[in-house]
Amino acid sequence: MKIGIPKGLLYCKYYPFLQTFFSELDAEIITSDDTNKKILDEGVKYCVDEACLPIKIFHGHVSSIKDKCDIVVIPRIIQLRKREYICPKFCGLPEMVLNNIPNMPDAIIEPIYATNKIKLFNWATVAGKTISKDKFKIKKAFNNAMNAQHNHKTGIKDESYELNVALSGHPYNIYDNYVNMNVIRKLNKLGVGVVTEEYVEDKMIENEVKSLYKKPFWTFTRNNYGFTVNAMKRLNINGIIYISSFNCGIDSVTIELIKDKTKDYPFLILKVDEHTGEAGLDTRIEAFVDMLERRSLVENNISSHG
Amino acid sequence: MKITFPHMGNIYLAAKALFDGLGVEYIIPPQNSKKALEIGSLYSPEEICLPFKIMIGNYIQAIEKGADTIILPGSCGPCRFGEYCEMQIMLLKRLGYNLDFIVIDAPTDIGIRELYRRLNKISSKSNKSINTKMKSIFDAIKVMNLIDEIEASVHNFAGHEKISGECKSILNNCKKDALNCNSPKEMIDLLMNYKEKTNHISLNINRNPLKIAIIGEIYTVIEPFANLYIEDKLMDFGVSTKRMLTPSWWVKNTALLPTKLNSLNIKKSSKKYLSLNIGGHARECIGEAVLVESDDFDGAIQIFPMGCMPEIVSKSILPKISKDKDFPIMSLVVDEMTGDAGYVTRIEAFIDLLERRRNNVLFRS
Repeated sequence: MKIGIPKGLLYCKYYPFLQTFFSELDAEIITSDDTNKKILDEGVKYCVDEACLPIKIFHGHVSSIKDKCDIVVIPRIIQLRKREYICPKFCGLPEMVLNNIPNMPDAIIEPIYATNKIKLFNWATVAGKTISKDKFKIKKAFNNAMNAQHNHKTGIKDESYELNVALSGHPYNIYDNYVNMNVIRKLNKLGVGVVTEEYVEDKMIENEVKSLYKKPFWTFTRNNYGFTVNAMKRLNINGIIYISSFNCGIDSVTIELIKDKTKDYPFLILKVDEHTGEAGLDTRIEAFVDMLERRSLVENNISSHG
Repeated sequence: MKITFPHMGNIYLAAKALFDGLGVEYIIPPQNSKKALEIGSLYSPEEICLPFKIMIGNYIQAIEKGADTIILPGSCGPCRFGEYCEMQIMLLKRLGYNLDFIVIDAPTDIGIRELYRRLNKISSKSNKSINTKMKSIFDAIKVMNLIDEIEASVHNFAGHEKISGECKSILNNCKKDALNCNSPKEMIDLLMNYKEKTNHISLNINRNPLKIAIIGEIYTVIEPFANLYIEDKLMDFGVSTKRMLTPSWWVKNTALLPTKLNSLNIKKSSKKYLSLNIGGHARECIGEAVLVESDDFDGAIQIFPMGCMPEIVSKSILPKISKDKDFPIMSLVVDEMTGDAGYVTRIEAFIDLLERRRNNVLFRS
């Protein structure tokens, strides 16, 4: 049996789990290519206009593998942490895909509540049933997949650079080099190192979030807000870069919350959408780096406004 | 303490009845207008949805009239509305206003004690007995139910009326008179009166008007300013409309939520297309579209603010329903830039389409 796994959205973070789980069940795994122009165009063609870029790209990934496999895995990730959600569009992702892309094969659309191992196993049993009837095999595959996920570490922390920035944003924007146009390599070329949220302890994020009036109910808001605010205070960095997709409802809130704390600390928001021109992005990054350099040259960082 | 609250449809009448009954000072923000939206868009973050901007306009206009406490219902669903309170507190603080925010959240999220403490902030300002307080809450709910009923029947009769414009003028007079009432009892009597009046509108029963359902995001369908008075426009065209999302529906739904007995018909009808609650009112939107189709409606109009996350999901499902059931559905996206002329053109074109479908020999054969 051929299982198709689209390389969109949170695949960048949870691929060891998905890959191991299905390959242990003796399924042949078909993944889509890394995001490219063709996938983006397909996504834009099928997806509803108002959706954000990552959702459109996910549509593209599904459409590129739909004819090559028997079952497509559409991870409907609802919760990663207790009392927190990902995004309404994640909850309705399978419906969006299945109703918009014609001639879809069967799909695994069981909701994923990854708040603890037992709940996640519920997903695994339903998903595994479509491939294998052997319960022990599913259990074993699940355990191996969990181990593979635990041993997998993501995150970037560059050493040996004079200037450093905290790179924040949703994981699929940071790790998809087509979407962000290789922003990490561009920064490195300009002599700027990058730190991502995985290098701030969970406890620190928790502390920052506690200072808010209301506990955020989105995991991305919690992580991005906690990380940027904490990094600004504690890590040895010179500025913050936030990659956000145009029309992202969650970022419209997160960025406001961060802005309230950063005040006049260097903070660059890079908006990406399906039209983003590379030259404009380059200019903005270069200008930001220029500013950081100049700031570090001025002895005591006093702003010209006094 | 002078309490204020954001506008949402006719909710201000219920709030007026409640605070009159409690004997608490309050300020009703001026009716939503271009001015409120202008103030709101000036201070709000660019990418936030339309309700946020209108609400900020309401607050600032009310503050100018002397309000110092704001009541806002909250939620902890995956939709952005739950984060409004956090951002609005921050924004108004930055603008230099010294305000008290009372956020009414569900007890499952903040604890029953905290909810009680917050509610007590309001009720401690009232020197009425506990019985009177309870009575004023029930009166407020009654006012809300009555005005929703009047509105629903007027919208329904608009297609049948003999004297064109009668329905609309009854509704407008009703709202105007209700605002001049001094006590909850007076308001209830008045609304009862108007309810009786709606039963005596002279109707042409032989007419078979177009029937359109208004579905979509709850704030934009309930607040006429946000949807550019679509229901009034449709009344002028002699179209009967129906809208299921009303403040009284919301109260009933929220009260029944813990028992899971809320909106069973919607859950049932939306099962095929969207089986989970994904936040906001996306599921209700899908369920209603399916329900009204089987109820002999001619079409449905979905309205939502630009960037509304749950409604984007339902917008992508609606074409499938439309195709499966041969049922026209139009989606309208509103934001602070929506122009009236373009909007009306689309509504007119949609009505033309529905009328022409009726003349088609194959219609509902």
